[in-house]
Amino acid sequence: MQNSQQTARVGLFFILGVALIWVTFETLSGGKVFKDQGYHIVAGFTSLKELKTGDEVRMAGVKIGEVEKTRLAGRRAEALLRISPDVKIKADATATIVMAGLIGTNYIGIDLGSEAAADLRDGAEIKTAVTPDLNSVMSQIGELGKKIEGALGNLGGALSGDGKSPGIIQKVDQLVTENRENLAQTTGNLRSITDKMNRGEGTLGKLINDPVLYTDLQSALSEIRGGANEAKTFIANAQAILDEVKRGQGAIGALVYDQKAADDLKASIANFRTVSDNLAKGKGTLGQLLNDDTLIRDTRAIMRKADRALDGLDDAGPLTAVGVVANGLF
Amino acid sequence: MRTLTRVLEGIGSTLQLLVQSLSHVPTLPRQWGRFIEQCYLIGYTTLPIVAILSFFIGSVLALQSGYSMENFGAKQFIGSLVGLSIARELGPVMCAILLAGRVGSAIAAELASMKVYQEIDALETMNIPPARILVLPRLAAVLVMMPVLAIIANLVGWFGGAIVAKYTDFIAIDPPAYFAALRRFMEFKDVLNGLIKAEVFGFAVVLVSCNIGLNTRGGPREIGASVTRAVVTSLILILVLDYFVTKALL
Amino acid sequence: MADSRCSATRNPFTHTETPAVSVAIEDLSKSFGKLEVLKHVSFQVEPGEIFVLMGPSGSGKSVLLKHIVGLELPSGGRVTVDGRDAAAAETREQIRLALVFQAGALFNSMTVYNNLALYLREHRVADEAGIREKVMRALQILSLEAAAEKYPSELSGGMKKRVAIARALVMEPQLMLYDEPTSELDPVMAATISEIIATLKDQYHVTTIVVSHDRDLALNIADRVGILMGGQLVFLGTRDELRASADPRVVDFLNPKIDLANPRFKQLET
Repeated sequence: MQNSQQTARVGLFFILGVALIWVTFETLSGGKVFKDQGYHIVAGFTSLKELKTGDEVRMAGVKIGEVEKTRLAGRRAEALLRISPDVKIKADATATIVMAGLIGTNYIGIDLGSEAAADLRDGAEIKTAVTPDLNSVMSQIGELGKKIEGALGNLGGALSGDGKSPGIIQKVDQLVTENRENLAQTTGNLRSITDKMNRGEGTLGKLINDPVLYTDLQSALSEIRGGANEAKTFIANAQAILDEVKRGQGAIGALVYDQKAADDLKASIANFRTVSDNLAKGKGTLGQLLNDDTLIRDTRAIMRKADRALDGLDDAGPLTAVGVVANGLF
Repeated sequence: MRTLTRVLEGIGSTLQLLVQSLSHVPTLPRQWGRFIEQCYLIGYTTLPIVAILSFFIGSVLALQSGYSMENFGAKQFIGSLVGLSIARELGPVMCAILLAGRVGSAIAAELASMKVYQEIDALETMNIPPARILVLPRLAAVLVMMPVLAIIANLVGWFGGAIVAKYTDFIAIDPPAYFAALRRFMEFKDVLNGLIKAEVFGFAVVLVSCNIGLNTRGGPREIGASVTRAVVTSLILILVLDYFVTKALL
Repeated sequence: MADSRCSATRNPFTHTETPAVSVAIEDLSKSFGKLEVLKHVSFQVEPGEIFVLMGPSGSGKSVLLKHIVGLELPSGGRVTVDGRDAAAAETREQIRLALVFQAGALFNSMTVYNNLALYLREHRVADEAGIREKVMRALQILSLEAAAEKYPSELSGGMKKRVAIARALVMEPQLMLYDEPTSELDPVMAATISEIIATLKDQYHVTTIVVSHDRDLALNIADRVGILMGGQLVFLGTRDELRASADPRVVDFLNPKIDLANPRFKQLET
């Protein structure tokens, strides 16, 4: 009924199957059984998002371990991380859930921490930080789009009116239209005033055209001359002060005649010269600002972009739509 | 109405047969020879067709997904797509369909002819329940062999996909990248899921085929009718069960 | 299982006492859908006798036999074997009965040896050496030693019947049932089978029920005969009574005249 060859084949077949299941298990669950080395640290988050068992743990982009288990612990989600034994994690290092691509796949990124801090030991808990995920970023962009649209709508309304009350441009237009006569009159008046001035009429006209005024001016000048005499005495006084300075008395005296102060001043002036030289050569921020063409080009580009952005904001609709779609998607 | 009665009758007798078979489980060690024989028929001889078919399923899957995913630059996810669809769905379902065609039909034919030529009656008069020596070893064998078939189908399918992904001009993804993608989105849970499904399908196919074979009435012409019925019922059952098992395992 | 009504016999294999059993058919009716196959049939089979149930094809003989082994359930009335309901599953555990099927019903996937050994193995009657001994003895009784390793498909019709009888014999039955044991056999082989049935009964004193339309068999080895026609028992008596019967149905059944001038199939048409 049963021959040994058949039994052997079935046995072989079964062993093959079990071996294959084992291999698959080893491969897909990250080979826990053979590589169960390293130590564990716990990372608590408000949400693990897309993180799952077997995802990588990286420090500065280098793989140092993997997520061994995810679990709920009270009011937070915990990821148990297995770190390879030769890697030390500093106590002040921070773990974040990092998104590796647009579609799923997260890993836990741990920063280097400071060198002085102690190492985390097995079972210790690492500090965590929340990074905005794509979802929240998308929704923020969406909201931003809506705000911009609103602002532009207001601006547009203010400029061109919303149908009920007139906008600024309309108001200016109205102002000009309504006051055309007044304006014409005003310019007419101005012309007659300058005409009068030319003809020597009025105070200003007389000032320009009246010979009598010349005499007045002469007397004024003589008065000024008197003033100049007074100034002479003032200069004499000043002379006296300068003498004092020469003798090294007073603050300025010290400044001028004290050797050290003079040296300081000289150094300052030298510094100033180097600074100005540098400026001329385009060194330093300010120098670049003054001498670098690229900066100007950049600025110009920014201006152009801003310009385009402003143009583009007319089509703020699609931007908001993207935001909304992104919200819906994630 | 008559069809409904027949369907209900079929369900009832199948469950009855299941209970009867389970009640004979303690005699299983004594049936080692029959068990090995059935393992051989269900597992070993079904392997080649399972391997060939799953290889091409994997290949076609890679080809089709490569063709359509190229359009939005997601080619590097071919491995994930092929891996997951084979492990979770196509592997178990293909195995079960092949089992229905190859083993289910054979079981139905054998038991139907035993019934028609009164061998089943002879067993009954000898006080040897057919459920014990004809059904139980088959059920045990399919339970042991189905995961083996399914895992081989998975692996062969994955490799089929990998080969196509590498040698197709417009895909050209190297096996390491393919398997990295496959591993990235897959856990052993997914494979286990597929194995459980295969187990359920295989068990259902064998049980239903046994029941239909044993309930054959009439002359030799009915043997052919029973085989057809066993295969059709198995196929329907696989797809219906597929939905519910998938839902239950999600 | 000692029963005072049963005469005891020494079993050829175990040499233990196995009592022969009686069979009682009480008001048995059976219908398949609207078709009434058996209509209120009643008779008794005594322990250790050969009862031959005769009747034309389609008269319900085989259906009646299936009721005795519990393969069919009665629509009305009941069948008891040694006082136990034949339809109950426990009856077959308490009373060993063997049915020799019309077509033999040998297990085609097994050799003759394994066909015979199956019952002994499944019921763990003996260890493999004991089973071998029993099987070979049964084959020897029926002169089948040479066929032990053959498959049923390699056997002739007469050998198949003998294998079927041998398979029934290894069960050490208390009740042997034969369904058309001599049909499809040549007259000499039919006579041989009849001789075997009678010999087994004489040697082992087993209650035997034979369903047949072979009148040679009935008239030579039967202790009592029943004739079933259209689902009803039309005759019940010893083989001598059968020979003497004046009932036209019985006479016509046992000695049908082949009348070409007025053929029966034409009478049926009118």
